[in-house]
Amino acid sequence: MGVIKGVLKEELENSLRMKNDYEKELAKLPKGSLIKKKIKGHEYYYLVLREGQKVKFVYKGKVSAEVIEKYKEAKEYRAKYRKLLSQVKKQIRFLRSALRGKESI
Amino acid sequence: MEKNQYDLCIEVLRRLEKSGVLKDVILIGSWCVHFYKEYFKNERYSGAIKTRDVDLLFPALSTNRIRIDVPNLLRDLGFIVGFKGLEGYIQLEHPDLIIEFLVPEKGRGSNKPWPLPQFGVNAQALRFLDLLTQDTVKLKIDGIEVRLPHPANFALQKLIISQRRAIEEKRKKDKDSAIKILRALISKDEATTVRRVFDSLDPKWQKKVMTGLEEAKEGDVLKILR
Repeated sequence: MGVIKGVLKEELENSLRMKNDYEKELAKLPKGSLIKKKIKGHEYYYLVLREGQKVKFVYKGKVSAEVIEKYKEAKEYRAKYRKLLSQVKKQIRFLRSALRGKESI
Repeated sequence: MEKNQYDLCIEVLRRLEKSGVLKDVILIGSWCVHFYKEYFKNERYSGAIKTRDVDLLFPALSTNRIRIDVPNLLRDLGFIVGFKGLEGYIQLEHPDLIIEFLVPEKGRGSNKPWPLPQFGVNAQALRFLDLLTQDTVKLKIDGIEVRLPHPANFALQKLIISQRRAIEEKRKKDKDSAIKILRALISKDEATTVRRVFDSLDPKWQKKVMTGLEEAKEGDVLKILR
């Protein structure tokens, strides 16, 4: 039993550190998504951001393929990291409840 | 999580193999204990509790000239770079796996991370890891050739480090996995290999092995080593 408890404690410490690290990685990603609008036959880009309850559109005009790719990649990683962060949070809840008993952890 | 975790570990190994990094690596830690199932497939052997840690040991001298950014290689799988401890040892983190990089400690030793610039990471230098590099076995895991320490070296190293553990649970875990492996080696008629590796050890290390076995009352293994 002692061995299992030791492993669970270590895994909880790892998960708590991992939660912080995923939050930091998410904060590093560029905010918002680029959207394309066609106006009078010309394509323009806007950066869509959420500020509290409001959705803000920031005009970007014509942007390079590199910038488009950067925002596309950020969008993919944001979704991936959010999913993994939620998995880590579930693990933390599980590990805490598994370790919670009469003894304090 | 179990299946996802296994699949993810295999995918990591596959990418390391394809990029040429894996031939420089010896897999140690609890995944190594798990993969020994392949080595002991005809014996009664069950691996110990497997943690999320995948420990990759880089032997000191390598002729490999490959330069691969390992964090970038695994980034799209969801791995992020994390830093362990105050020293800042790099580890690659994912909810299902944590990849750690290790090298054998040389000389007086230091807590400083050992740079591995060719792989874009650093490693933690630990004592007694040399023993794991001296004799290795290659096993096919899901079609991937993985290098592991010979089970005899691994088990004796576990017994040595178990004597240095401050945490009782870790001490017990090390001893339990070492004993399981030693029993499987004896049943596989490899007692002479265990003896040979034991004889090659420094007398101080031999004493630690014997103390570990005496504490565990492992009469059968002790008989071979006395």
